[in-house]
Amino acid sequence: MNRLNVLLIDDEPERVQALKEALHSLGHHVVCQLPNTTHLNKRVEDTHPDIVIIDMDSPNRDTLESMSTMSKNNPRPIVFFAEQQNDRKTMSDAINAGVSAYISDGLQPDRVKAIMDTAIAHFDAHSSLRAELEKAKTQLADRKVIERAKGMLMKHQGCDEKQAFETLRKLAMDRGQKLPDVAQSVIDVLELTNGLSK
Amino acid sequence: MSAPLTLEKNNLKLGFVALLDCAPLVVAREKGFFKKHGLNVVLCKESSWASIRDKVSFSLYDGAHMLAPMPLASTLGLNGNKTPMLTALALSQNGTAITLSLEFYTLLSKSIADWKDTSSVGAEFKKQVKNSKVKPVIATVYPYSNHHYLLRYWLEQQGINAETDVQLIAAPPTHMIPSLSNGAIDGYCVGEPWNSLALIQQIGGLLTTGHEIWGAHMEKVLGVTQEWANAHPNSHKALVNALYEACQWAEDSANKEELFQLLALPPYLDQAATQLANYTPPLAMEQHFAGKHVNVPDPKQGEFLLGQMLDCGQLSDTDNPADFATISRTVYRQDLFQKWVS
Repeated sequence: MNRLNVLLIDDEPERVQALKEALHSLGHHVVCQLPNTTHLNKRVEDTHPDIVIIDMDSPNRDTLESMSTMSKNNPRPIVFFAEQQNDRKTMSDAINAGVSAYISDGLQPDRVKAIMDTAIAHFDAHSSLRAELEKAKTQLADRKVIERAKGMLMKHQGCDEKQAFETLRKLAMDRGQKLPDVAQSVIDVLELTNGLSK
Repeated sequence: MSAPLTLEKNNLKLGFVALLDCAPLVVAREKGFFKKHGLNVVLCKESSWASIRDKVSFSLYDGAHMLAPMPLASTLGLNGNKTPMLTALALSQNGTAITLSLEFYTLLSKSIADWKDTSSVGAEFKKQVKNSKVKPVIATVYPYSNHHYLLRYWLEQQGINAETDVQLIAAPPTHMIPSLSNGAIDGYCVGEPWNSLALIQQIGGLLTTGHEIWGAHMEKVLGVTQEWANAHPNSHKALVNALYEACQWAEDSANKEELFQLLALPPYLDQAATQLANYTPPLAMEQHFAGKHVNVPDPKQGEFLLGQMLDCGQLSDTDNPADFATISRTVYRQDLFQKWVS
């Protein structure tokens, strides 16, 4: 029987739903978890996952990696996917798609391959959708603010549009603010410091 | 003057984590040190050390702001994919501390006359730990880091068993302050600004600093893969020189105000930086970006870190301590630093 316990840690509701359904249809049991939890350690102990799939951008990755080394009492050490899997191509695809995965010690890596491929496909599909989704959700006025902040960040940071958008998104996550509000504050800060440096 | 070197690559991507000691990277970009050395650098903010390691390992980034033990752990394959890495420049020294919840700190304060008297602080802390009805919970961020080793080292020094007397857990830096104030944890050992921020917000008290525990030690480094270093010797040299100059700038007290203005820019430390500009913690963190020995990636310190890894069970007993010197020399490239920076 190939049924595995999968713990999915992700804060993108659309992606969680789609990936959960896909993994269910492969016959796996999926437990979902929003990443903004303070009790990740306990959650991992309780669910005994065979595999954890987590958004590459989640700060909880370090927590997961610590769990296997912090205490000898942690029952099922979770190891980074690559430790058992010498498939550099899959790893590289996963990192590019923004997926990271941890599998419990002793699990055969080949049992995980199909799960990884599914996760990578869903993360890839979602990342091209994300900007579109964001656009559809925001009002025209907000969209203009976001576009302007993106433009200023691209100029100031020398980065591309995708990275500027990611920067805004991460700031919004860190501050717990909405994207248009973060965009406005980025504009304010960068306008104020115009001429400060360079 | 010698002819300028031809750089193998001008456009670089470097990863960083939003901590106070990412300052040299921010300064090098904002004050034009990268440009001066012919480099166009995009700085990419990461939320975890794990992602820093992976993106450097898999060549998404040319290099990164790394925890001092990280290139070593990656070279040994201790965490994830085994990728030989090296550093030719230490970016900072010290800057880690242990902060306690206000409740734990206040109770401890009753029996401590002088917080600078480290042996009595340790002894009283031990008493309070042993008397606690529930094991005190202490958090760190990442297993292959000074903050993790420092905490274990200090606990052991006090005769406190890290496995049985306390509960060590891991949490992301951004969760530390809320967890400390809501009682989920009793203390943490992390890098700046997370200690100073708890002190400024008056939700924690400073137990001791990394500098008190170990003396001066290498904290963050510029990490690249050995493969990248071999393929880009001239770009690597330019990068090291640009960052070295940025380190000098960041250390200069005349630039302090501007440094914090730069750090507060998105996407660096964001608003947190503005709170720190005029704050002096009660125990000196001794965090430095430049000065005697500060920027040298010293293989002796690498050997010390290997010893720490061994002590907390991250290296297997079969790893031969006699090889420590050899391994450390391949990772902490004092020779490159001395050749390039003069």
